[in-house]
Amino acid sequence: MNEKIGVYVCECGPNISERIDIDRVLEEISSAEGVKVAKKFGLLCSNDGKNYLADEIKKEELTHLVVAACSPREHEQTFMNVCLEAGLNPYLFQLVNIREQCAWMISDKEEATRMAIKYIYAGISRVTLHKPLLKKELDSIPDVLIIGGGISGIEAALCLAGKDRKVYLVEKTESLGGMVKKFFELLPYQGSNLAVIEEKIEQVQNNENVEILTSSEVEDVRGFLGNFEAVIKSKSNGSETKEIKIGAIIVATGFKLFDPKNIPQYGYGKIENVLDALEFEQMSASGKILLKNGNPPKSVALIHCVGRNEKGYCSKVCCLYSIKFARHLQDKLPGIDVSEFYSDLCLPDKADQDYFEEAKKKGIHFIRADNLELKEKDGKINVEYKVAGGKKDSIAVDMAILAPAMVPSEDTSKLAEILNLPLDETGFFKEVHEMLDPISTPIEGVYVSGCALGPKNIPESIIQSQAASGKILSSLIPGKKIEPEVKVSEIREEFCTGCQTCLSVCFYGAISFDEYKGISVVNEAICRGCGSCVGICPSGAIRSKHFTYPQLYLEVLQALR
Amino acid sequence: MKQDFKPNIVGFLCNWCSYAGADLAGSSKLEIKPYLSVIRVMCSSRVNSNLVLNAFLWGADGVLIAGCHPGDCHYEKGNYYVRRRFALLKKILETLDLEPDRLQLSWISASEGKRYAEVVNKFAEDITRLGPSAFHTNPNI
Repeated sequence: MNEKIGVYVCECGPNISERIDIDRVLEEISSAEGVKVAKKFGLLCSNDGKNYLADEIKKEELTHLVVAACSPREHEQTFMNVCLEAGLNPYLFQLVNIREQCAWMISDKEEATRMAIKYIYAGISRVTLHKPLLKKELDSIPDVLIIGGGISGIEAALCLAGKDRKVYLVEKTESLGGMVKKFFELLPYQGSNLAVIEEKIEQVQNNENVEILTSSEVEDVRGFLGNFEAVIKSKSNGSETKEIKIGAIIVATGFKLFDPKNIPQYGYGKIENVLDALEFEQMSASGKILLKNGNPPKSVALIHCVGRNEKGYCSKVCCLYSIKFARHLQDKLPGIDVSEFYSDLCLPDKADQDYFEEAKKKGIHFIRADNLELKEKDGKINVEYKVAGGKKDSIAVDMAILAPAMVPSEDTSKLAEILNLPLDETGFFKEVHEMLDPISTPIEGVYVSGCALGPKNIPESIIQSQAASGKILSSLIPGKKIEPEVKVSEIREEFCTGCQTCLSVCFYGAISFDEYKGISVVNEAICRGCGSCVGICPSGAIRSKHFTYPQLYLEVLQALR
Repeated sequence: MKQDFKPNIVGFLCNWCSYAGADLAGSSKLEIKPYLSVIRVMCSSRVNSNLVLNAFLWGADGVLIAGCHPGDCHYEKGNYYVRRRFALLKKILETLDLEPDRLQLSWISASEGKRYAEVVNKFAEDITRLGPSAFHTNPNI
């Protein structure tokens, strides 16, 4: 053994020194195999302490460093930096936590000392097996691919495009604007006219740092944060494909409407003058609200919650746009009778309640009902329904407008497969954490924004796009290198049997199968070092750096000494 | 005899939740019984059957695995993998003539310092009651 291990016990002021017999600890471990020096110091994380440690590393020509002090969650990085400064590879260092684990939790000084000795022994045994890992630096591409040219995608493009950063905005249809462009107006308090949207579209079109690829779809994506490659297929240019290199991706593919034909009792597609919400938006945009026979309607029923039970979630925006429809109908066709059929009203934002109350004052009927059924009767639509208590009732109207649930857009599952992203039980993309990390995905550098994550209104979609842009702006800085995790998994070829079990547990898609060699391969730039694959590999072929079997076994043995 | 028995317990804690929970227990100065030796792993899913079984074969009286609560895993799904492995290991312990209660899986979040102390102390009590493991006392095994 040629190791020259230095063990330094931090007194942490009185925190450790008063509750652990440090002199006994030093006496015991100074004779451990490989230990060259064992000393104590007042406060190792102080500037004096750091200078002392750096001097010691050089003076004693240490090959490995063990510091017994606080939790690695507190000062591991501090001491790694000291190593770096002193010319010792920072991964040849082990921090042993004797403060939180011993001094602070075990009141009996004798017992705390005994446990501290155990932990330091474990640290000494494992540190000799540490490998001098090297932080790798990879060049990164600051450019961004945005999939979806609706309001979310446009907002993200505007936030991101700049002198040093190009944005590719890929849109499946021929034009930008997405669903919002089909609306005749926004909610009054959200900026009452669509000019704001038009302005944004114009800005993005005039931005020389945005390359707009309409009638195009993403065919394939490979790579990792800072270094993605995507294949874009253009439908208009005779299926021509284009390869682009980007550093990050935002998925903003939006939603589509649930098809009301799936629920026959609404009569959609069978009964004349039963429309869905988008059809009414477009009818209003054309300025001609007319029945099939060319006459304007005298009575309209607005049906909320179409498909809500079937899909199992509230779509959040339908109540408000149905109120918007009702008020628009009253404005355009004075004297019209409008009834809203709802099961629960969703008015989550601060201005929503007033908007609803005003509608009630204007004489719009709000009827809480279920078991709705639409039937054709004498050239009109008869809406049959049940109110609370089970009483049945019905009204006849000229036109019915359905508010169907928002569901994932057409290619969501295909795109999820291409990008290796999870979907939730509703079929929308799944965020890493609904509350704490609401726009991130398990794939670093890939974000989802807007209705691709689930129903939401325009302001919320814009917020998410700005958030995703913020994440990218702060993690993908032009000219700055990317430092991937180095304590990653590695597969020892000679032991891998090619069973591919590891592929099934890797949440990040960091492992692929080399068909030619018949073995699994880890992409170290993607691996996050959780060790799930190590834990599941039936042949012990995978090693997680710094958490290898020998290292953990030595820790177990020291625990049991 | 049992009165003097100080069990040897190995605790595998995940870095993100349970180890942080232990840190919190420490900084809250909560008292724990000095029988548990903590081994930090990045994710509870790293703890595979070999590690647990070897710990028992080498004389551990108890093994605790602690990870993030379901749905909160830092690596999304690691704790689900270890949960399945845990169910299997319980069965294996029976075949080794070890009481399945000597192995415990707990979810402890970074904010649950109090829970950490409770889990560790309760487990230490349970193991003390069970007495030394058969592998510990019978040199023939």
